[in-house]
Amino acid sequence: MAIAATLAVVAAGSAACGGGSDDAAGGNVTITFWTHTHPPMIDLNKKLIAEYESKNPNVKIEYQTIPNTEFNTKMLTSLSTGAGPDIINMDDNALRGEYLPKRLLAEIDPKAFGKSSVGEVEADYVPGTLDGAKDAEGKLFGVPSEFNGTAFAINTAHFKDAGLDPAQPPKTWQQVVDYGKKLNAAGHKQAFNFLYLHSGWYSQNFQTLANQTGGSIVSADGKTANLESEGTKEALRLWVELARTSGISDPKSSSRDATAPFQDLASGTQSMAIVYPWSMDQIKESNPDTYKNLAVVPLPQPTATSTPVNRVYGYFWAVNNASKQKAEAWKFISYLASQKERWLTDVSFVQPVKGWETSAPAKAMPFIDVIAQSYGTGKYDQVGPHWAEVQDTIRDAVDAAVFDGKPVDEALREANEAVQRSIG
Amino acid sequence: MTAPTRPDQASPPAVNPRHRPSGAGIRRRRRVHRRDLLGALLSVPALALFAVFAIYPGLRVFYLSLFDYSLTAPPEFVGLDNFRFLATDPRFRETVLNSIFYTVGTYLPALVLALLLAIVLRRMTAGLGWVRLLYFLPVATSWVAIAVVWRLVLHPDGLLNQTLGLDVTWLSSSSSARWALVIMGVWKETGFFLILFLAGLARLPAEVHEAALVDGANAWQRFWRVTFPLLKPITAICTIIAVIRGFQSFSPQVVLTDGAFGTEVVNQFVYKTAFESARMGRASAVAVLMFALLIAVTMVQLRVFRREDS
Amino acid sequence: MKTTPVRRTARVGVQLLVAAGGVVFAAVLAYAFLSALKPGGEVLSVPLHWWPSSFEWHNFARPFTEAAFSRYYLNSVFVGVSVTLLNIVTCTLAGYSFSKFSYPGRNTAFVVVLATLMVPLEVIYVPLYALVFDLGWVNSFAGLIIPAGTSAFGIFLMRQSIDSVPDELLEAARLDGAGVVRTLLTIIGPLVRGPIAALALFIFLMNWDSHLWPLLVASDDEHRTLPVGLAAMQANNLGASSVPMMMAAAVLALLPTIVLFLSLQKRFVEGVAMSAGLR
Repeated sequence: MAIAATLAVVAAGSAACGGGSDDAAGGNVTITFWTHTHPPMIDLNKKLIAEYESKNPNVKIEYQTIPNTEFNTKMLTSLSTGAGPDIINMDDNALRGEYLPKRLLAEIDPKAFGKSSVGEVEADYVPGTLDGAKDAEGKLFGVPSEFNGTAFAINTAHFKDAGLDPAQPPKTWQQVVDYGKKLNAAGHKQAFNFLYLHSGWYSQNFQTLANQTGGSIVSADGKTANLESEGTKEALRLWVELARTSGISDPKSSSRDATAPFQDLASGTQSMAIVYPWSMDQIKESNPDTYKNLAVVPLPQPTATSTPVNRVYGYFWAVNNASKQKAEAWKFISYLASQKERWLTDVSFVQPVKGWETSAPAKAMPFIDVIAQSYGTGKYDQVGPHWAEVQDTIRDAVDAAVFDGKPVDEALREANEAVQRSIG
Repeated sequence: MTAPTRPDQASPPAVNPRHRPSGAGIRRRRRVHRRDLLGALLSVPALALFAVFAIYPGLRVFYLSLFDYSLTAPPEFVGLDNFRFLATDPRFRETVLNSIFYTVGTYLPALVLALLLAIVLRRMTAGLGWVRLLYFLPVATSWVAIAVVWRLVLHPDGLLNQTLGLDVTWLSSSSSARWALVIMGVWKETGFFLILFLAGLARLPAEVHEAALVDGANAWQRFWRVTFPLLKPITAICTIIAVIRGFQSFSPQVVLTDGAFGTEVVNQFVYKTAFESARMGRASAVAVLMFALLIAVTMVQLRVFRREDS
Repeated sequence: MKTTPVRRTARVGVQLLVAAGGVVFAAVLAYAFLSALKPGGEVLSVPLHWWPSSFEWHNFARPFTEAAFSRYYLNSVFVGVSVTLLNIVTCTLAGYSFSKFSYPGRNTAFVVVLATLMVPLEVIYVPLYALVFDLGWVNSFAGLIIPAGTSAFGIFLMRQSIDSVPDELLEAARLDGAGVVRTLLTIIGPLVRGPIAALALFIFLMNWDSHLWPLLVASDDEHRTLPVGLAAMQANNLGASSVPMMMAAAVLALLPTIVLFLSLQKRFVEGVAMSAGLR
């Protein structure tokens, strides 16, 4: 047995140059499709795949889900050998930070969408929302499967306990602290917490604040670390104030399980949190009792302002440049993208096509005004090469400042050096 | 007494290329030759698998350590640049220190504990034989599954804090995260060394002990003068294994802390640099350095133990 | 032999202490098991309740109904058994070859094999993946099994063990006209049964724990092994109500190796002793 296996190895090894995925021969097509793991999304994907396969009997979709923390590793390893799935569903950070600079993705195929040019495809979407899938030259490499703005959730029952009016939510971070102290006094010890999960979460929270305080992680040309700029320092100071100095909650009590990101809010222990549309959906599912008490309000700002600033991010469907059946892959994507209303109704995923917020399912969505407003005022994250290292650095800086009490300036000086080494 | 067994043959200088099994002299001429040829063939399945799936990729790692290689573009030769970068990289230095902390913090207590337990358990009163099995249990657990369990144990409201009446956030502060890993590590690894020490003790001749008893030596003297010197070979092996296991640690850090709060170890740095940052060349350079370090440490250990022997 | 009452008391005291320590060690696993039986809200209750208020045995069914747990399980068993069998064959043959025969290059080969123990595995995965891809083994059992088909530790262990088989026995067998293979099967095999059991257990445990390689090489549902499946399950199961189910899944994943270990531990200990050259 072992000898046979070894012979097979040697024989196969000597003929190792061939192989690869099967070509689309004889009309039958197998398309591999990878997404991350978000349970409601998986269910809808499975439904849509079944529908598409019954409409196109010659097409078979092989669907795989991979946990977020492992997604990039798996993608890079397989793409580096020219393998990998035909269709990738990944966030704009990974797209712009890793896949586009490495030229791993294929440009969008307008024919699959029944359009004659990329411009016509773009015309359907709210301006700016496709930027997350564009390279430096402005070429488009994907269409969004979900587009998320940032909002704020408050537990109205807690507010009433503390004698606060839920109709007057905090507009500034200072108010979050003030309200937090009243909530503490009413027995709600976790008034507001950030999410301390993997480094991706740290950096999205950090960029949310930095967008508001005028800070950034790297300079506009992406060549210099910019963590010691005043705006960036202000962002971390704000974080430390909210999470540590003000004492409105103990960051150490925040549950750190990435598999249940909004657990503390959902279980009714936490009173206020930064949220996304899909997170509300998740809470509705897991903790319907708490959900009834939650209200979604605009994200607080550093100062009372008429021009609020938010953060947006998106997940995109894109096609592997090494795929041998790009046209078929885009056709399937086009089908997925055409089911806009179901994405909204079933999963609360927004497809930012023009006028989405006035469509019937959008109107039926709770808090639609707040959410729609957050899209209009959002900025995409900064992204650069080796962004995974940069995100790790930000995580370490925030941990040091928030949990270990290291002075903000010192934490950011060290982080700045580290980021410079990463991008330099 | 047996020499510190075979691992010394792992270090090239110790190898005698003419080493032949003691029985070889009896063998005769032509037949011997054919038999040995047949014998050589027996190693082919293992060696072929090794050549294809370990040595070839391993050599490629050495080769790649001289390149800038992003996985998706062809490698570009950069000479010793990767090593130069690492020489001044604070993150790399920190991960080496973290690895040393984890190795010493986990394996020193684990070895001492295992040795002491072995001495007691060996002479455990009848009826308490099952006790050793309790210590063996963690050896049979897998990191991924046991980490799911330990996350609950180390939770602020988990088993550890509640039992000891503590209020430590084990996994979210720089002062405690490294200790959380050490606690889980000692729990998981002690049993493995206990097995080795029990095996070592079982081979000790009983007369030695009896003689010492007649001499009137107390338990402590007996241990230091009689038992411990006899356990030298097994202690040497345990120490070498402990250092290798400690420095190659990866899963516990990944599953418990993901390297946050000063717990990132060298292998994690290698993994992240290679697969998350797609810097294969630099990651390979770290692997080369680790390889050299482990070989060097192992040789030093063997020297020390051998010198003490004589 | 004289034993004073004081000394006897001291010894009993030490033994009781060690026994208590053993109970503490095992308590972690008992905690996991009991947590798996608790209703969702009870798991992290303050103060701690060891005993579930009601025994939710159905938690143990949830991994099977709510995730493809049986598939992960079967895959892990199949891959583990295949890899173990393959290792028994390759390592015993190589150990025999390195121990009892003399040919040029033998020691070099052995040293090179041992040196691979020192290379961090994580970093060879990229060249290895490229190779396995070229062989067409991505998302196949071959990709999970064949690269793990032999092990440096196993070869080392078998060589040490076979070293301890007296050459006179082999010489006698040779004079009786036994060939190389027959000598292995009839003389050496029975004498190294202990080390083979130890090897089998060791390899099976390692394989059961293997996470990163299976994740890279076989992540479709059909080929997922337990560690990959467990990680995916954690990512798919949100909320406190899932904690008992995850505990149940962890306990189920721990069980086979613990049972296997307890039933083979005597042989394992013997085998380890033998490999440590203590004979």
